[in-house]
Amino acid sequence: MRWTQAHIKTYQQAREYVDTAIIPLIPLQWGKSEKQIITMGEFTGYLSESLEKQFTGRVFLLPSFTYLISENMEERVERLKAWDNHFYQEGFKYIIYVTSDADWKAAEKKLPDELLWMPASSPDSFEASQFKRLIEQQVEQIMPIFTAKWQSEPLSREN
Amino acid sequence: MSNEKRHRVSRRQFLTYTLTGVGGFMAAGMLSPMVRMALDPALEAGADSEFISIGISEDELTDEPQRVDFQVELEDGWYTSEQARSAWIYKEGDEIIALSPICTHLGCTVNWDSNENHPEQFYCPCHDGRFERDGTNIEGTPPTRPLDIYDVEVRDGAIYLGQINQRS
Ligand code: FES
Repeated sequence: MRWTQAHIKTYQQAREYVDTAIIPLIPLQWGKSEKQIITMGEFTGYLSESLEKQFTGRVFLLPSFTYLISENMEERVERLKAWDNHFYQEGFKYIIYVTSDADWKAAEKKLPDELLWMPASSPDSFEASQFKRLIEQQVEQIMPIFTAKWQSEPLSREN
Repeated sequence: MSNEKRHRVSRRQFLTYTLTGVGGFMAAGMLSPMVRMALDPALEAGADSEFISIGISEDELTDEPQRVDFQVELEDGWYTSEQARSAWIYKEGDEIIALSPICTHLGCTVNWDSNENHPEQFYCPCHDGRFERDGTNIEGTPPTRPLDIYDVEVRDGAIYLGQINQRS
């Protein structure tokens, strides 16, 4: 399900089935390597959307968590934790952060739930159909991560 | 003088009404197809009943369901977009069956024979929904109706799919 009026209606009738949220983590920067930064965001966006499509009955795709590359990691983590906590308290027992920004890997241990890092491939280095196939392949690789997560207890939050 | 003033006010009112009228009409026109699409995926595809080629021929089919991905063009007023679709397709005797992979519970994508504990069934990883080979939902799992089924046509040996039909 997605952040739209139509989907929130579906959610309200089925909330006991929807226990997982995806938060795309998208970096911003202008004036320096913006092309690369945009590629990361675009790739993360496509990937998150495909995952949502695959698991639409159980997963809610939230709006992207955006940050300036210059924002220090501690602050970022704090902000993301606040998002996480809010949605966790509201019934999303599994939260998955999807990103192509490798910076997050250094902070992985400080995050309350699962980080899914996938290196970005640029859509313009592929034919459109090839790009789609690539994303589908990635989604297929990632699917077991979701199903394994659902087999295990949700991670508890600090407070 | 007062007469003239009243005249102007009423003309402005007239314009306001007219604009609201047109705007409201446009909004209603735009909204209803979107709402319909969101609420009922089967209806969305049913809107165009044209058959499209999915790039596979009859002699490539077996009795084992295989997944075929294809694109459909959706027209919504002036806006055309390509949408990805899939089907699980197989042969049952002489008949060709093409099922929609969209779980009838809450819309996740089902896979054939993907769960070790439930071989030879369609399995939905979201809430363990299950369906028989012919798409019938299995009692005791969340889905309450069978997988939707496509109209199928064979032209010169190539498979064409038409609209998606709900079954109960
Ligand atoms: S969406 Fe398939 S079982 Fe719930």
